[in-house]
Amino acid sequence: MKNTLPETVILASLLVGSTGLALAHHSFAAFDMASQRDISGTVKKFDWTNPHTWVWIDVPNDHGSVDTWGFEGMSPNYLARRGWTRGTLKPGDKLTVTFRPMKNGENGGMWVSGKRPNGGVLLMGGAITDP
Amino acid sequence: MRCTRPTVVAFLAASLPLARFAAAQKVTRKAPTAQDWAAIAKLPDFNGVWEMVFGGGAARGGGRSARVAGPPLTPAYAAKAQAERAQPAREAETANCLPPGLPAIMGQPYPMEFLLTPGQVTIVIEAYTQVRHIYTDGRPLPEDPDPTFYGTSVGVWEGDTLVTQTVGLEHVARGLSFPYSDKLRVVERFRLTDPDTMTIETTVIDPEALAMPYSMGTRTLKRHRNWTIAEYVCEENNRNFVDAQGKAGIHLANPEASPK
Repeated sequence: MKNTLPETVILASLLVGSTGLALAHHSFAAFDMASQRDISGTVKKFDWTNPHTWVWIDVPNDHGSVDTWGFEGMSPNYLARRGWTRGTLKPGDKLTVTFRPMKNGENGGMWVSGKRPNGGVLLMGGAITDP
Repeated sequence: MRCTRPTVVAFLAASLPLARFAAAQKVTRKAPTAQDWAAIAKLPDFNGVWEMVFGGGAARGGGRSARVAGPPLTPAYAAKAQAERAQPAREAETANCLPPGLPAIMGQPYPMEFLLTPGQVTIVIEAYTQVRHIYTDGRPLPEDPDPTFYGTSVGVWEGDTLVTQTVGLEHVARGLSFPYSDKLRVVERFRLTDPDTMTIETTVIDPEALAMPYSMGTRTLKRHRNWTIAEYVCEENNRNFVDAQGKAGIHLANPEASPK
């Protein structure tokens, strides 16, 4: 999906820079905002819900099965005005997620961005860039 | 209001509206006439959907012009503020889906819809699906209102500027970042700086907590003529919680429990 509005990109960078999100429902308290990690897996489920979207990713573990990780994103209200739809992520999509991890080490965190195998990037601030 | 400094008195007289109070009474409104509706058409075109512009360097409350200083707290309230800062962070504030109070509810990263009708300005706030009613029918402010999240608001048009006054604000989390008394009054000045740009200048007055009126700066909103207000039910899939010790957590187990 094309989303080339420069203002969207600026807004996205502002939000990732943590200016705006503090105003939303969002509490950063559970996340380690000083660190960032990547993890790769397969989309299990995409919750297009308030107050946050949730991206659930199945990640292969050392036991030959998968762990399900959960990532909190911006609300559907916000994202829908910036190019996302409830179908932007579908079960089975391969994705590498960049996130702020949970402070308590649980499998999840705050969505920063997602990268598709073809190089497409999905930013939390709403911008979507296709390769 | 007790104001001993002449500069404060001069400032008040120059830029802040007088508050007219009366014991709360039921106001019976007459049916609007064709003239009442015609008068609406002559007002500035506020009707429609607006979203705050982020940025501008404000550390908190994006869309505001930079603030020169913090609130001019009186000694008693400065001590209160210091005592509050010494408490552990209140992580529950954003976990429970309660909306912020005024004025923070006006600075959310979601749009608001303004509706002008005879005797009233209604603001439909997408964040948390909230609504404000600003009565422009000449009624006074209530003397002893029940405190609520957004208080009781009245407004007058000063030329092309809607000047609102709000009293009766509950002590809720995330309304103001400093302690205040039940004498708090919020003054907002709404005006169009061009057909699709609105500014909201916010000043708070509190004769107990503030040594002088405190200007919280100006927010800028842009009109989006092709937007509509969407539903925002915070309780739909809120996975945030706080534990018995007040620490924030997130329910990550059982993704299937999400409603959709």
